[in-house]
Amino acid sequence: MTPLIQLDAVTKTLKGQGRPRDILCGVDLTVRAGESVAVLGRSGSGKSTLLSLIGLFDRPDGGRYLLNGRDITRLPERRAAALRSAEFGFVFQRFFLLKQLTAAQNVAMALVNGQGWLPRRKRRVKVLAALDQVGIAHLAKQKPPKLSGGEQQRVAIARALVREPRVLLADEPTGALDTETGNLVIGALYAATERGCGLILVTHDRDHAGRMGRVLQLTDGVLTPATARAGV
Amino acid sequence: MIRLSGRLRSSLIIGVQGIRARKLRTLLSMVSLFLGVQAVVVVQTGASLAERSLLSESELHQGKDGTLLMYLPSRADTIPVALDTLRGRSDAVAVTSTRAVIGEPGVSPVNPGGNPFDGTDRYGGGYGVICDNSGCRSINGPADSQAPPGAAIELQLIGLTGDVRQFRPYRLESGRWLDFSSAPSLSPQIVINKQAAKGFARHRVPAEMRIDGATADPTPRIIGVVDDGGYQPAAYVRTEELLNWLPQAALGSGDGGGLQLLLSPSATAVEQTLRARLLAGGARAEEIHAEPVNARERAARELAIMRWVFLGMASLVLLIGVAGILNVGLATVGERIEEFALRRAVGTPRSLLAGIVLAETLLTGLFTAAAAIGFGAAGLKVLSAVLGDRETFLANVEFPWQAGVAGVIAGLVAGILGGFVPAVRAARIPIATVMRA
Repeated sequence: MTPLIQLDAVTKTLKGQGRPRDILCGVDLTVRAGESVAVLGRSGSGKSTLLSLIGLFDRPDGGRYLLNGRDITRLPERRAAALRSAEFGFVFQRFFLLKQLTAAQNVAMALVNGQGWLPRRKRRVKVLAALDQVGIAHLAKQKPPKLSGGEQQRVAIARALVREPRVLLADEPTGALDTETGNLVIGALYAATERGCGLILVTHDRDHAGRMGRVLQLTDGVLTPATARAGV
Repeated sequence: MIRLSGRLRSSLIIGVQGIRARKLRTLLSMVSLFLGVQAVVVVQTGASLAERSLLSESELHQGKDGTLLMYLPSRADTIPVALDTLRGRSDAVAVTSTRAVIGEPGVSPVNPGGNPFDGTDRYGGGYGVICDNSGCRSINGPADSQAPPGAAIELQLIGLTGDVRQFRPYRLESGRWLDFSSAPSLSPQIVINKQAAKGFARHRVPAEMRIDGATADPTPRIIGVVDDGGYQPAAYVRTEELLNWLPQAALGSGDGGGLQLLLSPSATAVEQTLRARLLAGGARAEEIHAEPVNARERAARELAIMRWVFLGMASLVLLIGVAGILNVGLATVGERIEEFALRRAVGTPRSLLAGIVLAETLLTGLFTAAAAIGFGAAGLKVLSAVLGDRETFLANVEFPWQAGVAGVIAGLVAGILGGFVPAVRAARIPIATVMRA
């Protein structure tokens, strides 16, 4: 079966004001549909950079990136935007909800993005279904300032799920939450894999990582399976 | 097409959400833009009113646009030819002018020289004044100008072969207009203008009309009053009725002399026939002048410079408003970096991000335009109600649609200019902002 995501010897160098710094040095990664992968690593190890390459926010300097067997290493921005909309769902450490919009409107943001058009009624059905998936359909009309941190993150997950993506990318989604709420959020993310969605979770939390199907360690720009020493 | 429609709809939905989320800011942008758009609306309204006023005057004095004006020399042989050619035609009218005095015989009229009644004193008796080394003295008028003053009114008697109002839209003030379909009466029916009406309202005069060159004095019947835009007293009469008392040769003996013809643009055959007959009768080609009325173009030309100067000044005021929108737009984009980066992350293309910002500024411009147009229309209505009686060009005036269009265009242009740079900035926000936050 063709892997959902396949990275072959992907490299990335950050060219800041100082000396260029190699962040990723030949990363290989394969993720299949329905598979969940956790990526562990110290701060600054390149976890987020890896996620931004997979999510087409950025392009690798070297190597090859295949999505469903299709080479998208050098995809132009216009097509990358369409792919981000159709194939990926993103969850960030900060929830990035617009406080002037309701939970439902925040979720609908992923549908009103210029990639096709859904009539209001269909949009509403999809939004409520996504909110229902994460168990907060009853909060659809609430605005973010009235929601708890966990509820806000679940709204963000619903926003990521509403287009039924094939890959869910989560960048430290529990970083701003307490343990109990964090477990709820990870549970909501993991539930997506049961519907065939691939999940890549970047986290510092080894307990949360342990709930994923596979745990990888990013050290010195190289991705390796996590060892028992890593505590997983 | 569907894709474009989806993007347009998306940008409008998100734009409206953005405006609703920042109502005070939108209001402040509108305030900064309002004066500029209002200036454009006012200039365009003023220009339209001035053009309307000029056109209205021109239509009364010359004729509607496209009317062909012909001037024929006052010769004994041209007038019969012209009257014969125009007989029974509705698309061409001959206009003659002669002097007439209505009232007591053998007296000097209350307005010698046919002067307006408000300015009789000012003009010092009505006839011309010449000045030389020995000083200034008035030129002698007709014989009755030396007569003792009496109850008589001097006016210009204008003979018409047909209904001239198809060319010059005289406004009937009271009574009725001349009926050209009935048999001519021996007692000439006349329609006087407002200036003449003033005279008849102030002075009681006997109904006896002396016409220069007439064989006898007929008794006129005043059947109506029109506003012909004239400043001198005048009366309109059917040429057929005038000819009962006046030899053809005496027609057109008034000020300016000659015969004036008004022809509709489609009456080219009449013009050619008349020209041919006159030339065959011995008239010289250079004596026959014909020119179409082109008042709209002339009015536009006269107003063009003034309009552009004022529009230039209004544009400067508009630019200040644009700077306000630009300033607010840049600040707003700066505050919304994360939102725009997030939108890109969920698949929103750069072009749509630019579209969202432009939609917000365009909507702000349109709202401002609507407010400015509403304010302008209401202001004009108030102005018309307050000053309409004194200033005729303001009476029953409608808000010109051109001013509305100009306001909308100004609002849209301001929206585009003010939103362009913020839109470009929004489209360039790096998507990785959400990862670094």
